[in-house]
Amino acid sequence: MDKQLELLQGTLDMLILKAVSLGPLHGYGILLRIQQISKDRLEIQQGSLYPALYRLEHQGWITSEWGESENKRRAKYYRLTTAGKRRLQTEAAKWNRMADVIAGILGAAPEEV
Amino acid sequence: MRVWSRVRSWARAILRRGRMESEMDAELRFHIEAFIEDLVRNGVPQQEAMRRARMEFGGIEQTKEECRDARRVNVIESLVQDVCYGLRTLRKSPGFTAVVLLTLALGIGANTAIFTLIHAVMLTPLPVANPEQLYRLGDNNNCCVMDGTQNGGSFVLYSYPLYEYLRDHTPEFTGLAAFGSHLSDLSVRRHGDSAPAQPYKGEFVSGNYFEMFGIGAFAGRTLTAKDDTAGALPVAVMSYHTWQTHFGCDPLVIGAPFAINTVAYTVVGVAPPRFYGDTLRSDPPDFWLPLAADPDRWLYRSRPEWLYLIGRLRPDVASEQVQARLTVELQEWLDSHREVIPERDWKDIARQYVRLTPGGRGVEQMQTNYAKGLHLLVTLSALLMLIACANIANLLLARGSANRAQTAVRLALGAPRSRVIQQMLTENVLLALVGGAAGLYVAYAGTHVILLVAFRGTHYIPIDARPSVAVLGFVLVLSVATGIVFSIAPAWMTSQSNPADVLRGAGRSTGDRSSVVQKSLVIVQVAFSIVLLIGAGLVTQSLRNLEYQHFGFVTEGRLIVNIAPSLAGYTPDKLGGLYQRLEDRMPQIPGVLSASLSWYSPLGGNNANERVYIEGKLPDYRWTAPSWDRVGPHYFETIGTRLLRGRVIDEHDTPAARHVAVINETFARRFFPNEDPIGQHLGTGDVSHSGDYEIVGIVEDAKYQDTRGPAYATFFLPLLQAPPGEPVRGWVGAIELHVAGKPENLDLTVRKTLADVDPNLTVLNMVSFGEQVARNFNQERLIARLTELFGLLALILACVGLYGVTAYTVARRTNEIGIRMALGADRRKVLTLVLRAALAQLGLGLAVGIPAALAGGRVLARQLYGVKSHDPMILGVAAVVLVACAILAASVPARRAMRVDPIVALRHE
Repeated sequence: MDKQLELLQGTLDMLILKAVSLGPLHGYGILLRIQQISKDRLEIQQGSLYPALYRLEHQGWITSEWGESENKRRAKYYRLTTAGKRRLQTEAAKWNRMADVIAGILGAAPEEV
Repeated sequence: MRVWSRVRSWARAILRRGRMESEMDAELRFHIEAFIEDLVRNGVPQQEAMRRARMEFGGIEQTKEECRDARRVNVIESLVQDVCYGLRTLRKSPGFTAVVLLTLALGIGANTAIFTLIHAVMLTPLPVANPEQLYRLGDNNNCCVMDGTQNGGSFVLYSYPLYEYLRDHTPEFTGLAAFGSHLSDLSVRRHGDSAPAQPYKGEFVSGNYFEMFGIGAFAGRTLTAKDDTAGALPVAVMSYHTWQTHFGCDPLVIGAPFAINTVAYTVVGVAPPRFYGDTLRSDPPDFWLPLAADPDRWLYRSRPEWLYLIGRLRPDVASEQVQARLTVELQEWLDSHREVIPERDWKDIARQYVRLTPGGRGVEQMQTNYAKGLHLLVTLSALLMLIACANIANLLLARGSANRAQTAVRLALGAPRSRVIQQMLTENVLLALVGGAAGLYVAYAGTHVILLVAFRGTHYIPIDARPSVAVLGFVLVLSVATGIVFSIAPAWMTSQSNPADVLRGAGRSTGDRSSVVQKSLVIVQVAFSIVLLIGAGLVTQSLRNLEYQHFGFVTEGRLIVNIAPSLAGYTPDKLGGLYQRLEDRMPQIPGVLSASLSWYSPLGGNNANERVYIEGKLPDYRWTAPSWDRVGPHYFETIGTRLLRGRVIDEHDTPAARHVAVINETFARRFFPNEDPIGQHLGTGDVSHSGDYEIVGIVEDAKYQDTRGPAYATFFLPLLQAPPGEPVRGWVGAIELHVAGKPENLDLTVRKTLADVDPNLTVLNMVSFGEQVARNFNQERLIARLTELFGLLALILACVGLYGVTAYTVARRTNEIGIRMALGADRRKVLTLVLRAALAQLGLGLAVGIPAALAGGRVLARQLYGVKSHDPMILGVAAVVLVACAILAASVPARRAMRVDPIVALRHE
């Protein structure tokens, strides 16, 4: 609803795309995967994951189908689409550039200005 | 591809909502359960695990709502919600809904009825193939028979040889057809029928007429070029409508022998159902006959000019080029046929031209005649619609104010303003659509009535009152637009309202924004209403002046019977006997006071004029040729025209006697300004005839054709007198009867008497003189009645509006009124307080409306007869009526305010 949240959502979208790029996952799996990669340093509001997934699917970056989980239960698996792959690449590139710029600004010494 | 995936997920979301919901449910449950299992595996007790899982996941319902949002399902869903909610609220306030729907039905109905007419008359092309390729040769509707050069040089009427010349020398036309500029009366009897011949309308058309229009036969065949040659067997094509209504779709009609004007014809086919010929008009042709069969035998003569031409242009040529070419051809032809033009007009040949005009709607007679009236009606009905919108907006505002607390609570709870307005808009458009549907019915009935009034006295009019696709579209657009228009004010109020104010109880204040808007709307309504009322007054007075003017004859107790001896096979030598028998028999009918014969009767749609030569005077070409008529004995006495001097035409004026003429006042004034006309001589044709008739009497002026202008200069000749060797032109076409009692009662007796005189003599038409005159004012009457209706509706709406606002103010100010009364205000003061506000709105409305009406009246002025557009009497009456009704409407709530009990009022919340 307000701007702060949207920025956060943007990052979450990227993380989800990255997580499913490594192989099809169900929602809970995505959560675990992100936590695992980030070594639990990122706290993700669990409920916010699903609206993000639905939005990404609506936009065509990911698709879903029902399958069987590790513990023999029906679960909805998400997979990256070709468009999603391209999207992830551009998002990641953008993020890296942004991070560089921000890091540059924050690392600036007084005499450089 | 992405767009596609979006559409797919959207469609899935909407179409399989149930399935999506359950999948979403399963997915979220799976997540929580997997999380719990993980926690339990890590040693958290089951109960604690469940608690933590719930907590960390957050609100499940909220998540679901966000998921739905992510798929944009909500746009549709909220619309569905709004519609359901809207229907519910409308059902809950049946009174409000009924008033709004009635207002809408009338407003939309009136506009749709007018649009149906506009669409049918002004916009719809002829039901023929590719009407856009058709062009007419000529740019006006001059009728019916002319000689030589034409008005202003623009040719519209053509002789047959000229038509042939143009047809054969203009290859840019794939077809060029000719047809008589007016319909002919036919007397038709099916071979073997015992009943007397019946009157029908016929049109003489060139053989390529149907082919040019691209019209095939519904049954049998249409006319061909072969049918239109001298010596061809007489054939006719019947219209579908006639086939259906008069011959019960009898297939045996095709190929059957018919006696048309006593000549044997074969009906070779039936035209397609929707085809009404080349001109949209009431009582279109029942039969199409080849030009070669024309009884006037004008076919091979270079004069007169009596045909209209319409052609189909090749798609690859420009009409301007063809127009230039036709003009050259016309001048060439006239130049080589100088004998058809009077010598004094030869110099004008080079100025004659052909203008090609789009012919997709045929000869636009009705279009031209009704354009002004229809434009006026469009303006009036649009005004009515605006008043209706203002009224509904007002009602909505009043209701909105009642619901202010509810709206405030919704806003305070976080509903976005846009959502509240969207909901309101949905509800109102819904209301407007329902109103539109009801309006469609009103329009259908209304169009019917309008057609009846507009074409009084006709049997059939080829206009369909049923709504076409275009009309349905119009209603849809109008309804939605209306819904939006009357939502503007309430929506604006909502967007301005501050929930905190409302919840604090600011609603008790005496003045607020919503009442300002409401009052302005009432002012607008009053202004529009006075415009409509004054308009109604003006056109009504104008119609009354037209209908009750001094025509120069008396309509009461007169019956007019139209006959055509030529259709019964009469030849000039037999006319005298027929006239004699009619003159003997008609006065003997019981109830007939006097009877007479004439060529034509006043205001029956007929008029003839002829250049006249006065003995001993130079011909004067400044004047348009005077009108003339042939009349028998007792004519003036029978129709009630007074003799001023000399004598009238009587039994002694036989062909053998001295030839005489009677003239009217205008004729006398124009041709004999300073001398006595009695005893002077006049004649027609050329100067050598100027001694033919001696003027023996002067009668008062009477209007025969134009009801608005002064009477034409007219001379009257006896029925059978003509210069030696010349045939009698102007055979008897009308019988006038002065009767005791209602003229219509004599119908059967008159028919029987005529059948006794000659069974072949078809009664073409029989109406009272009053009715015949009244039919001249069909359009004026239609406009007057509709304007009156619109004015009445506007008056009612304005009063309802004023009542509503006043009642609402009183309800809101009950508390204040209570305080005032407690502080010593008496009832009179309270009454004044309330009425003063109502009167202020009324006064402002009049202050705006009356100048607007005066400005609008100037546009109307040219259509008015005998009444000034600023007639103070009408202005005054309209204002008084409006003020009286409005005060009456406002006094109902005002009296309620007067009876307020201070104790109760102070407790009033």
